[in-house]
Amino acid sequence: MKQFANEVPSSLPASPLRSARYRMWGVVAALFALWAAAPGFASRSVIDMLVFSGLYTIAGLGVAFLLGQCGIVSLAQSVFYGIGAYSTAYCTTHYGWPAPAGFAIGVGISAAIALAVGWPVLRLSGYFLALATLALAIIGQVLFTEWDWLTGGTLGIGGIPQLNLFGFVLNSPQRFYYLVWPVAVLLLLLHRNLLRSRTGFAMRAMRDAPAAAAVLGVDNHLLKVKVFVLSAVLGALAGSLFAHYVSFVSVDSFGVDRAINFLLLAVLGGAKTVLGTVLGALFITIMPRLLSRFGDIHAVLFAGCLIAAVIFLPEGFGGALGRMAERLRARQARP
Amino acid sequence: MSGTLLLQSALAGLTNGFVYALVGLGIAVIFRGTRIINAMQGEFALVGGMAAYLVLERLSLPLALAALGGIAAGGVLGWLTDLLLVRPTRRRGGTEESFLLLTLGIAFAISAGVLFIFGRDSRLLPGIGGETSQIFFDAAIRTHALWLIAISSLVMLLLWLFYHRTHIGLSMMAASIDEDGAASIGIDVPRMRTLTFLLGGLVGGLAGVLVSPLITIHYEMGLLLTLKGFAAAILGGLSNPFGAVVGGVTLGLVESLAVLSVSSGYKDVIAMTILILIMIVLPNGMLGKRARKGG
Repeated sequence: MKQFANEVPSSLPASPLRSARYRMWGVVAALFALWAAAPGFASRSVIDMLVFSGLYTIAGLGVAFLLGQCGIVSLAQSVFYGIGAYSTAYCTTHYGWPAPAGFAIGVGISAAIALAVGWPVLRLSGYFLALATLALAIIGQVLFTEWDWLTGGTLGIGGIPQLNLFGFVLNSPQRFYYLVWPVAVLLLLLHRNLLRSRTGFAMRAMRDAPAAAAVLGVDNHLLKVKVFVLSAVLGALAGSLFAHYVSFVSVDSFGVDRAINFLLLAVLGGAKTVLGTVLGALFITIMPRLLSRFGDIHAVLFAGCLIAAVIFLPEGFGGALGRMAERLRARQARP
Repeated sequence: MSGTLLLQSALAGLTNGFVYALVGLGIAVIFRGTRIINAMQGEFALVGGMAAYLVLERLSLPLALAALGGIAAGGVLGWLTDLLLVRPTRRRGGTEESFLLLTLGIAFAISAGVLFIFGRDSRLLPGIGGETSQIFFDAAIRTHALWLIAISSLVMLLLWLFYHRTHIGLSMMAASIDEDGAASIGIDVPRMRTLTFLLGGLVGGLAGVLVSPLITIHYEMGLLLTLKGFAAAILGGLSNPFGAVVGGVTLGLVESLAVLSVSSGYKDVIAMTILILIMIVLPNGMLGKRARKGG
């Protein structure tokens, strides 16, 4: 969305803009260097936290995309995250199948369920859709607990093998870190491209003026279902990666609070910007840790941060950053 | 399946149904007055129940005063919520999503706060009539449950009278139906919204006080209670004050009768499936005419 708003007619003086662009590439390069070097100096627990940020970025991207581009509040992501994780866990431990099978089955089941459930449910809108997805999350949580022949119930499933990329075993947080973030960035880029495509325009048209979009030939309902399925696929993918990373899954990881966390991530990061998802994911993994030094009150403080963000940063960190960059650029562009 | 068992679970379902109805009533009150779905209605009940418990145990005052304290705590919480949090959000152009997230956030904060202050323990209030039960054809029902049903019905009736017969109730409805029109005939719209939250909080506090002798109060109870209440309100139709009761009782009965045939672990699955199905199939609820947009 931002990229379009910032497109400047070529008649403006080019030099300050070009310098701004160089600076932007400089920032990107610096961030990349910091990212690549992090396992060298950061402690194991920090890297572990960053791996989770990466996993949450992938799952949260689905939620953010639904919210920011289609105006759909989804609280059901924990279900798909769980399906991905349990598929991997069950296929690799019970059948001893290779990892890709687990990924494929998780993604397949998630997509099928998202299609079957999303088709009727996405006829709803606003609060009602949000609460329907919350109801789905509760159903998912109960079924994950009750179907213990499949999920191990509260005891969970352990002994999930580590991922093995061409003989290179991802058996430490550092190694997994170098897998999860490139995957996340690749998915972010793919979503950015999707946003700039015809479909992306159709989504935003549907979000802002559904009637007008329908007149222009956008099948609103079908489009919503498609994005919902896409979001579920991302959730399952993140869930499978999660299962391989922690090698033990139990129902605690796929509760309603996880679904709410994914939504928070999207809202805090700023759902309209793709990059905001990363900021949101970093926030929800780092903040509780920082706050935990205050003792047991950290959960209250975290909820307080959330309330403040909803009131003061309605567009999230991504939106606030984008506005700041815009202001900076406007100042530079002034002759 | 014996008749007694059937009757026994029907009575249990009826009791649960009125619990859901009370929570749903609060959600419907706030929705009617502000067009906000309040995701913290269950937390009003949590705070109401906790406050009543504190008045009773720490101050050792009589049960009636404790109940009043619990109801007042819910009301104060509702009033503060609107004044301190909902109003600023509205000033900044809040959308449906932001109000939902705001109330969800407050619900977390309260739940976490209760966990921080009171810990993980569950607490029970003594019921009206103590632990005594009434017997109908070999099936027992707590005396307190009968009181809960009676008081809920009374509250529903009072709310109906309030919205149809009193000046302030009519003003509240006017403020929500047509903001500009209401303002132009001299109704203080923001104040009416605050009063709506106060009223919703009072109903929530009452729910907490009445529920806590039957269901233990603990920090995690809010969200599921909110959802069941929401299901009740939707089921009956959000626009009709009797809707929440009809919806709640239907939900409670279906839930408890279904548990007779499947494992009780699936109780919430059944309730949530009903919620989703009702929203899709009966968008205006069983009693509503034109209740809501969406769907």
